[in-house]
Parts: sequence; structure tokens; C-alpha cells
Amino acid sequence: MLSAWNNIKLRNAMLQIIYVGGFVAVIATLIVMGRTNLQAQGIISGFDFLWKSTGWDVNFSLIDFSARDPYWLVLVVGILNTLFLGTIGLVLATVIGVIIGMARTTENDLARLLGAIYVEVFRNIPLIVQVFFWYAIVTRFPGPRQAINLADSFFLSSRGLYGPGLNITGLSAFLGIVAFLAGLGVIIWISAAQRFRRMDPARKTRLRWLILLGAFIVSLVIFWIGRIPDTSLVSMPALKGLNFRGGIRISTELSAMAISIAIYGGAYIAEIVRGGFNSVGRGQIEAAKSVGLTKWQVFSRVRFPLALRAMLPILTNQYVWLIKATTMGIAIGFADFFMVVSTAINQSGQTLELLGILMGGFLVINFSLAAILNRINRAIALKGNQLRS
Amino acid sequence: MTKTAEPAITIRSMNKFYGSFHALKNIDLTVQHGERIVICGPSGSGKSTLIRCINHLEAHQSGNITVLGKALDNNILHIDEIRRDVGMVFQHFNLFPHMTVLENCVLAPMLVRKWPRAKAEELAMQYLEKVKIPEQAEKFPGQLSGGQQQRVAIARSLSMQPKVLLFDEPTSALDPEMISEVLDVMVALAKDGMTMLCVTHEMGFARQVADRVIFMDQGEIIEQNPPEEFFGNPQNERTQKFLSQILGH
Amino acid sequence: MAMTGEMGRPGLLATLREKYFSSLGNAALSIICFSILALIVWKFFDWAILSAVFSAANGPEACKATDGACWAVIDARWRLILFGLYPHEEHWRSALACGVVVVMTVLSCLPYFWNGRSISVIWIGGFLAFYFLMKGGILGMPVVDEQSWGGLSLTVFIFVTTVLVGTPLSILLALLRRSELPWISALTGIVIDSVRSLPLLTILFAFAVVLPFLLPDWASGDKLYRAIFGSALFFAAYQAEIIRGGMQGVPTGQEEAAKSLGIRYRHRIQRILLPQAFKNALPATINQFVITFKETSLFIIIGFFEILASGNAAYGTGNWTFAFVEVYAFIAMIYFVFVFSLSRYGAFLERRMDVGDH
Repeated sequence: MLSAWNNIKLRNAMLQIIYVGGFVAVIATLIVMGRTNLQAQGIISGFDFLWKSTGWDVNFSLIDFSARDPYWLVLVVGILNTLFLGTIGLVLATVIGVIIGMARTTENDLARLLGAIYVEVFRNIPLIVQVFFWYAIVTRFPGPRQAINLADSFFLSSRGLYGPGLNITGLSAFLGIVAFLAGLGVIIWISAAQRFRRMDPARKTRLRWLILLGAFIVSLVIFWIGRIPDTSLVSMPALKGLNFRGGIRISTELSAMAISIAIYGGAYIAEIVRGGFNSVGRGQIEAAKSVGLTKWQVFSRVRFPLALRAMLPILTNQYVWLIKATTMGIAIGFADFFMVVSTAINQSGQTLELLGILMGGFLVINFSLAAILNRINRAIALKGNQLRS
Repeated sequence: MTKTAEPAITIRSMNKFYGSFHALKNIDLTVQHGERIVICGPSGSGKSTLIRCINHLEAHQSGNITVLGKALDNNILHIDEIRRDVGMVFQHFNLFPHMTVLENCVLAPMLVRKWPRAKAEELAMQYLEKVKIPEQAEKFPGQLSGGQQQRVAIARSLSMQPKVLLFDEPTSALDPEMISEVLDVMVALAKDGMTMLCVTHEMGFARQVADRVIFMDQGEIIEQNPPEEFFGNPQNERTQKFLSQILGH
Repeated sequence: MAMTGEMGRPGLLATLREKYFSSLGNAALSIICFSILALIVWKFFDWAILSAVFSAANGPEACKATDGACWAVIDARWRLILFGLYPHEEHWRSALACGVVVVMTVLSCLPYFWNGRSISVIWIGGFLAFYFLMKGGILGMPVVDEQSWGGLSLTVFIFVTTVLVGTPLSILLALLRRSELPWISALTGIVIDSVRSLPLLTILFAFAVVLPFLLPDWASGDKLYRAIFGSALFFAAYQAEIIRGGMQGVPTGQEEAAKSLGIRYRHRIQRILLPQAFKNALPATINQFVITFKETSLFIIIGFFEILASGNAAYGTGNWTFAFVEVYAFIAMIYFVFVFSLSRYGAFLERRMDVGDH
């Protein structure tokens, strides 16, 4: 036996078998123990419960949902909510991050100082503290009757934020926005990917405008299809009785989460943007200037493309993190995927199955997002590894 | 170093592959105790791979390697024993940067041979004197020049009192003015009777010290002879071509 | 450019013009930024200091009378925020325990202590000191159970224990991940990547809330320690990748040299690989510590009375419900001090290491 242990090949084989076998054994034991325990509490294992009606409602949903609908639908609602909040949060955070990040790379000291203050303040305070803070603010808005009135179109009240909106289903709004973003993504891909480098620039520009127009039209079509029958397309919020009718309502929970993620994410993205621009070698910029390019051309043709390629891998990580951060919605009652699943576990007792669905769901979200962004990254990355900045 | 009848290293029909690439082809080699062998050849010929197989930094796929009487096979105990008694000096020195020169030298004797610190340090200082840098004992490798670092690396290997020393292009990474200080140390070691296998381009060293010079090309041993014949009368055409390239200018 | 001054250096006016008003766009930017800065500074100064009420002597009514910050709520409720429901007479123990952790952190930052033995002694010793100060039961101190630990001390306890449990786990995971044995490396990779792709909250939730349903009572253990283990697992998954990155920065020649000297696996890892890997991974490790400290705030969601929860209680009860901004500002400041100083130190280390390498 000892001699077998000393034999490299045998030892390696044994170690691997012990490790994998042990791991599988532990997981299996946990599952079996869990099932026995649950059965003792009268809960049957299996995924049949997914077709039973939930008996409870959620406070925010992009699609129609009531307490009579089955469990699998409420899970879908949760996923859609997470993706919805994630998209809004990511887009806002990117906008803020780019502005602040650029401010930190200018030569103007004042702009840099302002940017630095923003980043340091909002990066160093935990996100959940910021969530609670904004939630406290948003829920302390006056009631609908005394709502804060902005230009007679936007109203901030404790029941939510109201603004002019389209009379379309929430789902079609979401899909329309996604379609437009996808169009933008394709445009960025065409602009930056190596594959299109050789394309005639005039043709490239025409192609991009075409896609922009196409994406715009597709979004409008989706909005049109999702129209709620017998209503006009645009509706304005108006105070009727105790509450507002019409327009779109952004729930307090959603607005608090969106604001927090946008501000916190924006601080991190600002740093990533700054890092990206700083990583562009001084030699490149000097060479561009010495060839006679204007300041704008140096920026758009040299600094920005190189910075983008440096930023993208780190941005990917940050986006994935921000999507995961939507789970904090449970603290203030936003019905994201996590909150839906935990409520479901509470109500149905189907612990193991729902836990598996929860983990599986997040693995899928993460994997897809990372895969998409990595694909973009590979498409635009500089070929070869001989460059050293 | 005792000269026994049994060879120090015996390699029979050894083959090594990297995936499908045949790096070493049917190597047969015998090294007696006290022999000094120089191995030369163009890059990619497998010279470094060959000596790295001897202390199992690379694994061979077929054939036999016997070092100091122990077979180099899948037995971990054998590999450990062999590594204890076979030292290696690397092209890039590979000193441990977070330890002083002295600590570099005493680490292995204390951990592997289980010597007390005092004994290990005493011995290490002797070898540091032998390589002519005892005064650097408390410095860190980053504070030394390339030539000094390589001499420390030699002292570090010697501190384990090996019976065979392998050299993998020990002077190739040195600035020209430091090559001779390292070569002097290696010549002194040879004169003391250490069994050495040296992969090197320093033909002057080969002529001065080697018992045998081996020429390798594309994974095979092409020619091996004592230096006078090797340099004076190379048999194989590839050997001639190589020698003309390296000695030409 | 008009040059003034004896030595030919540009005068002050010229410098200002160059820096802030060099072009129309730059001038506009300067004016906007300056106005925003001035506005923020003035408004903040006025709110936080000039018009603020600092003492709780006159109760909440004094605050409602002014527009400024109501720091009186802090004056009235700081004990709750910092110590939670810890018994009043024993607050000194809680404060001392937090002090121990601060000392521990500062010592860890000094290069003098950067070796395995010293760091372990500092952290384990610090943890034990913290634990026995808080728990009591020795030296005549009355016992205070974990249920009563709260506020800043609970936050700090969660952080220290997470790091203490998570670090050895992360080293183990890193070594398994870089193993040459394919099954071990692949399986560990799956585990690490899966844990890293889950939100921390779901892991905490699974350990704290779900696990008792699955395990028999005797195996469940205390909720706090279950949750801390989940937090440690998450920390270990991230830290393992950081350490592995550090290991990849160690030249392969190092291990080869050790092998050629006959040094066996355990000692190669312990004496050659890990010391160099940790040095490479130090800035990223400090960053991970900072993130972990911020993430302790998530424990509020699984029902623990850490500093955010105690802050919510501080303004949520009694007559102070309007003073939420001040309470959150206070909590934010506490986090800020720790997080900002540690990340600045990390940045400083990183710069110093970059310089030292060339």
C-alpha cells in the first residue's frame, strides 16, 4: 500500500478520486439529509409545485400577475424585475461613470477635484447604506395631494414617482428598450471590431446610421404592439382623488434601488474609465499630436479607442457585480428574483428546489452577461501580444 | 568524490515527448563519477531538456534513467533522493529574492537534510568563501550583480553537498565582463573532482576542463568525444557546421 | 504669453488663465465646477456646522426648530448605534474590543510584521482578545452572549471572523485550483467560479435561513456562525483567485530551483511560493479586505443587529424619526474612515511596489 502511495501515477489517480468522490459524497449527503428533514415536516420534494398557484402577490411586475398565477410565473416575474432594474441601473451608472470619469482625466483641476470628491464619497459607503438612505428619502416625499410638482409633468410623491408615459405594457417597454440597446451594441461592435476595420468608412457610417434607424423603428414597433387597447399612446399623470392616474409610475422601491445603483455604480465606473484613459501610453498621444491631429481627433481616434479596450474587461466584472447587487432590493421590498424566491421558500416550503433554482438562475444570468461582454471584448481587442504600453 | 565502478548517471534509450513533439530521441549516455561533460548544440536541440530529465524537472516517457544507483521512475521516494544528491545551476540564477544570500544557502540543508542551523551556516560560509563572496552573506539577491548572484546559486547548490552538478547555460544571462568570474568557479569545482554536466556555449571552458564534449541536434546525440578530437577533428557534418558557426568569428 | 516676474516665471494671473480659462469650453467648465464646489461646500458647512444642533439636552424639539443638521440624535443615541443592545455597564468592553481590532489592523499594515508567524499571531491573538472581551466569563467579567452583541462591535466581529476563517480556506482553494491534477483543478475551478457568481446575499441567506430546515437540530449550530461561515466561503472564493494571481506572478524558476534542491511540496509552498505570492497579491488583498468590510452591512438583511440595523433603530424609535439623514451620515462616516484609510494605504503600497520593481 505504501509503495502504491509513493508511485506518482497511482498517487495522482487516488488523490483525484478521493477529492471528487468526497465532494460528490458531501453534496449527496446534504441533499438526502435535506429531503428527509423536509419530508418530516410534510413537504414533498419535486418540482410539481411550480404549477400550483402561489396565493400571494408581488408589488411590482412588468407582466400581468395575480395571486392565482402559478409559481413558475412568479419566478419569471422575479427574473424580469432583476433584469429590468439591472438594465436601468447599469445604463444610468454608465452615463454617470463616463461623465465623472472624463472629468477626472481633464486638465482642469476643479473638474478633477469635483470628480474625486464624488468618487471617494460614494465608493466608500456600502451600497446597502445608500439604499436605505435613498429609500428613506423617497418614502418621505409628501403624499399625492402635496406631491412635488415639476413642470406639471413629473410628480414626486410618497406613493411613487409619476411621469408622462406610454400606454403600453411594462413588458413591451422593457423589450423595446432592450431592442434599442441591442442596436447600440451592434453599432459599437461595428465601430470597434477588428472584423470591420477594412470596410470603406463611408459605407461603415451608412451601415451604422441604418442600424440606428432600424433599432429605433423596431423599438417603436414593439411599443406599438404593446399598446393597451382603447387608450391614447401618451398619457400624462393627473391627480384624481387620492392618487395619480395615468402616466408611468415608478415605485418607491424601484426608484430607491435604481438611484442607489446608479450613483454607487457610477462611482466605480468613473474609476474604471479614468484607469482606462490613464493606461493609454503617453507616447501614443504625443505621436498623434505630432502628426497634426486636432485635440478632438486625438481623443476620438487614439485615446478613446485604446481606453475602451483597456476598460472593457474590468467593466465586465463591474457590470456582473451590479446585477448581483440588485438582490439588496429585498431590504426595502423590491420584488427582484431573490426576494421572490425567498418568499416562495417561506410560503411553499420547497426549500431545496427553490434554492437550486435561485442559484441556477444567477449562474445563468452571470454566465450570459459575461459571455456577451467577453465576446465583445474579443471582437474589439487588439490582436497580438507584442505591444507593451 | 569517490570514484566507484558504477557510473553516476546511466541513460538508456530514453525518449521524451512534448505532446506529439519528439524532443529527445533514443538517448544513450553514461557518465562516470568525476567526469566533466559539456553538452552543446543549436537552440532547440534538447540539451536543456536532457539535463532537466536527470533531476526530474521534466519527465521522460520511455527508456531508463539511473542516477547514483537509483532508478528514475514513478517512485516519489527515488525522485526525492536523487534531487538531494544532484544539484542544478540555472541560466537565470533563480535565487529566492525574499531571503538573504546565507538563508538561500541554508534553507535546503535545514529542511531536507535536517541539519541544525549552526552546522548549515558553517558549511554554507565555507562554500561562499569558495565562490569568493563570503562578505555578501547578509545581502539580498536583488542587491547583487548577475555574476555574484550566479556564484551564490552555485554555493547554494554546493551547500547540499551533491554528488553531481548540472549546469543549464550558467553564463548565458550574464554581461560579458562577469562571465569569467563564474567560469573560474566552475573550473575550480572541476579541479576538485566534481561530476559535472554543463550545457554551455563557452567553448574555451570546454577545451580547458571537459573530459567529453557532446553535440546534440534536434533531440539526438550526434557526436561525443574528448575535446581535442571534438574540436580538432569533428566527424559529423552537422557538428562541423555548428562549430564553424560558433567558433567562426 | 506675457511673462512677468524677475526669473521669467509666469505670474499668478497668467497661470490661472492658462489652467482654467484657456479655451471657451475650459472656461465654462471651470465656472460650472467652481460654482458647484462652492455651493456644496457652503451648503454643507452651513447645514452640518453653522445651523446644526449638537446637543440632545433640549430634546428633538430643538432640532425641529432649525434647518441645520440634528446631530443631537447622535448625542442621544450613539451608544445604541455603536454597541447595539449590549448591557450599558459593559460598554467599555465593547469599545475596548473595537480598539483591539483597530490596533490589529494597523499592525498588519507594518512591513515589519509581514511574515506568516507574525500575522497569524496578531490576528489570532487579536481575535481571542476581542472574543473574550465581548463574551466575558473570564477575569470576573459577566457573560454577554452573541445575541446581545450589536452595532459597530458586531460589524467588526463579523469582519474579523470572516477574514480569519476565510484566509486559510482561500490558500487551500488557491493551491487546489493550481494543482497539476486535472480533476482537482477543474472541480475546484467550478466551485470557485460558482461561488463567485452568486450574490453574497444569496449565500448568506442559504446558510443563515435555509440550512436549519435541511439539517437536523444538532448539526445546525448558531445562526451567526453559520452566516459568518457563508461570508467566509464567499471571501475565500474571491481571495483564492487573488492569491492564484499572485502565484502566477512568481517565476516558475523559483519552484524549479526549490525542486532541484530536493525541497518537498509542503516546504516549497510554505517557504518559497506563498511568501512571494502574497507579496504580489498584497494590493488586491487589501482591496478585498475593504470590500469585505463594506459587505458586513448585508447582515442586516438576514436579521442581525449590526451597525446599519442599530442605526435604523436609533432614528426609527422614539421622537427622532425625522433625523434619519444625520444617523445615516454618522454611519456613513464610520464606514468611510475605515474604508478610505485602508484603500489609500493599498494604493500607496501598490505605487511603492511598482517603483520597487524597476
